[in-house]
Amino acid sequence: MSYLDLSNIRKSFENETVLDGISLSVPEGGTLVLFGKSGAGKTVLLRTIAGAIDPDAGSVTIGGQDMTTVPPEHRGIGMAFQNFALFPHMSAFDNIASSLTSRRMSASEIKRKVQDVAELLKIDHVLTHTPKALSNGQKQRTALARALVSEPKVLLLDDPLRNVDAKLRFEMRLELPCLLADRGATVVYVTQDYKEAMALGERIAVLDQGNIVQIGSPEDIYKRPANTEIAQLFGDPTVNLLDVVPQEDERGLHAFLSDQRVDFHGDFPGVAGRDCIVGLRPEALSFTQNGGFPVTIEAVTPFNEKTVTLVTTLRGREILVSQPAQSTVPEGPEQNITISAQDAILFDRQTGKRLEPVTTGERVEEAA
Amino acid sequence: MSLLELNGVNKIYNPGSAHAVHAVQNLDLSVEKGEIVALLGSSGCGKTSTLRMIAGFEEASSGQMAINSKEINRLPPAKRGVAMAFEGYSLYPPLSIRENIAFALKAEKMPATEVNKQVEAIAALLEISDFLDKRPNAISGGQQQRASLGRSLIRKADLHLLDEPMGQLEPQLRALLRGRIKHYIKQHNLTAILVTHDQTEANALADRIAVMEGGVLQQFDTPENLKNKPANIFTGAFIGEPPMNLFEAGAALNDTEIHLRLGDDVKLEFPKARFSPELIERVLTNKSVVVGIRPHSVHLAETGHPAEVYANQWLGDQTHVAARFAGKSIVSVAHDRVRCGPGEQVNVQINPEDLHIFDPATGAALSHGGVLA
Amino acid sequence: MDHTSLLERWLRRFALALIVTFFMFPIFWIVLMSLQTNETILRSPPSMAFVPTFDNYLAILAGRLDSNVASMGIDFLNNLMNSIILSVSSVAVALCLGVPAAYAFARHKFRGSEDIAFTLLSFRFAPPLLVLLPLTLYFQQIGLADTYLGLVWVYQLICLPLILWIVRGYFEDISPDIEYAYRIAGHSWFATFRKIALPLAGPGIAAAGLLAFIFAWNNFIFALVLASADKQPVTVGALAFVTASGIQYGQIAAAVVLSIAPTLALALWAQRYLVEGLSLGAVKG
Repeated sequence: MSYLDLSNIRKSFENETVLDGISLSVPEGGTLVLFGKSGAGKTVLLRTIAGAIDPDAGSVTIGGQDMTTVPPEHRGIGMAFQNFALFPHMSAFDNIASSLTSRRMSASEIKRKVQDVAELLKIDHVLTHTPKALSNGQKQRTALARALVSEPKVLLLDDPLRNVDAKLRFEMRLELPCLLADRGATVVYVTQDYKEAMALGERIAVLDQGNIVQIGSPEDIYKRPANTEIAQLFGDPTVNLLDVVPQEDERGLHAFLSDQRVDFHGDFPGVAGRDCIVGLRPEALSFTQNGGFPVTIEAVTPFNEKTVTLVTTLRGREILVSQPAQSTVPEGPEQNITISAQDAILFDRQTGKRLEPVTTGERVEEAA
Repeated sequence: MSLLELNGVNKIYNPGSAHAVHAVQNLDLSVEKGEIVALLGSSGCGKTSTLRMIAGFEEASSGQMAINSKEINRLPPAKRGVAMAFEGYSLYPPLSIRENIAFALKAEKMPATEVNKQVEAIAALLEISDFLDKRPNAISGGQQQRASLGRSLIRKADLHLLDEPMGQLEPQLRALLRGRIKHYIKQHNLTAILVTHDQTEANALADRIAVMEGGVLQQFDTPENLKNKPANIFTGAFIGEPPMNLFEAGAALNDTEIHLRLGDDVKLEFPKARFSPELIERVLTNKSVVVGIRPHSVHLAETGHPAEVYANQWLGDQTHVAARFAGKSIVSVAHDRVRCGPGEQVNVQINPEDLHIFDPATGAALSHGGVLA
Repeated sequence: MDHTSLLERWLRRFALALIVTFFMFPIFWIVLMSLQTNETILRSPPSMAFVPTFDNYLAILAGRLDSNVASMGIDFLNNLMNSIILSVSSVAVALCLGVPAAYAFARHKFRGSEDIAFTLLSFRFAPPLLVLLPLTLYFQQIGLADTYLGLVWVYQLICLPLILWIVRGYFEDISPDIEYAYRIAGHSWFATFRKIALPLAGPGIAAAGLLAFIFAWNNFIFALVLASADKQPVTVGALAFVTASGIQYGQIAAAVVLSIAPTLALALWAQRYLVEGLSLGAVKG
């Protein structure tokens, strides 16, 4: 059963449409990630749910109640902000307690609740500090504690890990899902980091220019991106996109890279002869001794956990190949690389949309 | 003789006052011709001060700096033979991108056709061909940064200094441009020093990385060695994504085995033969050590030490599994999907050749993979 | 290298000394004047050597103005009291009206809000005499001429735009997220204004209030036209020292010292707020 429902939300600022009719629902206790580049409308959407921004049209329903015109203090939500938004003139304790002081609650109960959540987030030793005296990580945890302490039914997290360093971001990325699951809240999480999106989201909604362009599980989005842009947004190093015109024969649909045949998995009726783009994930490519297509190694750029190699095909097209760091890049500039048919993603060049292989034969393009 | 030589270089801001800051401490650094060196560290570690001293925008408080064996301490920036790309782009606003990039070449009185050819080439490399005739303020931050990088790389200089050259770059372009820029620098036999806080960038581009912290050079080595032989706990924990798992451990020895006790409940047992005798002596004299294991070396297997999973996150090309282990958490990275959910028990296997052992008092590395550091 | 920085230090000190001298000299000179008799002030060439006397101050406090020709009554202390009453109440009224208005202008952009705010500011640009003449006529008709109330009202022309514009900037500098956060925590907008916006803009409000006070204190023309002798502030009252028989420089100086003393004391006391308020901008989350 869905707990948070958005229906046809529209918002424009001075002739500029920021949200263009967005409908979403999140089941009770579920987590939805809103992903998109800056300016895609994620933050405005989150603020609309919070009640800080009034939509021009559409409705917000929380727990079956229409909340569209209810002021933020009566929506029963918790929110953590990207810039933390701590109250600079209050101690960490008072910051966290501010979520409780508006209720009829005894001072001792407030104290106990703040203490509990502070211990959970490991900031109980800095409760007397003002935000100025806190490290970035502690600020971020204080902001999170403030959102969690009143045990809200809906939790809105606006890119909460954006302003903390890489190490902390990694730690929190691992800890957060557990923490959120324990609380049982319905969560909407905004981020621009695809790793965070994949790690946290049971479902990810990809926003672009005020529209939802794809919504699905991390696996859907990574393996079956709706268009080339989404394919590029997910994955580091980014997906290789090469222009091809696929051909069909008795062995199925295929294209040529470096004069060598690359097969596509599944039936694509009507695609042969069309201008297409093939997407090859760098980690799906591998160096091989026999078969594959010939390439020239241009540069080897090791990452920590993987080695990324820039190669060019016979026609000078650039391809990135990513391998686990343990495996070695073969010696010498002339090499062959290969990809399995399942891992090649086919897009229409004109629209940029992914072409869905079919078995029944009617449907060619997937509705995004 | 090295191309660039720094000897005992110090930088102290506001010397003698209450606000004195020792930004760079006794730095020795030498860069060979044709080499790409990265200065890597978090903000305030002294990397930018070092770069600015080499460029001539800051004076060294003490120590020698030489390019091609010629002392440069007192030379003005223009006479040092260095080209620099700034973090803040710093393109000349009234000039088009083309004129910006060609600026230094024109000053060298290069014929116009040749200038044009070179500008077009570097623009294609950096994917800025489409807006060569626009003004800097008409293009995005990432595009400005690429133009600024182009303006520096196109110059013939003994040494190219790149300050956070890719910080503003569009994520989709980064991996590709890293490859192209590295290829370009190698092809033209340029020598480059880049300053960055992003270890991915340093690893990808640099032949050697100087890791700095608190104004002190922690380690200056190849990416490979930084990963496999970190000189101390700082480098060990700093280099690596996800970061190294670190545990305080008590070491003990019997006739055949070495025991490392992590926390209260985990005892790693390794046959003595897997460690060199000198190391056994050192570890034993230490008794208490810090043990580091890279996430890629933490294997989830049928047998091993039990741990309880609390997160399993698939990121497309790798999986991060975090589990409660020895009273802390341990992170394992695999390159395929791992099927185990939060709350499940897994077995953690650690091989002695993947152990990094550090001295808890000094932080210095004692051993890597069973061999004395 | 230490060489250059040493030279730099001395140059900097010298420049600082020059600036301080430039700004402090008039005050220093007036304090000197207030301790001399008219004869020693006017001798030529001027000299720093004299026997200090407190006669000028005593004369002002006693309310008697003695010159070598005649002696007349002067009520400078009453003027001082008027200045205090007028400035304090003007600033108080301006704060009560201006701070909520500034908040509204900062947080709620509505159609024409910029225009209204600018119109309010433009009152500062109009030549006061232009406003004063018609105002005098109106005030006389409705009985506000020569009352504290009428003066405080007119003084809003000085104080209100100042407070409105300075404080509005401070409210705008507070990240809206901080206020959203407080509201989402379950508090009404009014509680948010009181508990978050007001304390965070505090230094700015103090600085604006102080500036408004100084401007009100130094005002001359409004009071000159609209107030009779018993409502006049010090700025107008000082005119009395210009007598038919000559100008009483020593007493003017003493009066000036006494009249700048309150604002100077206030500025010194609130220096911390002023500097914080005028230079730094408000809070960063």
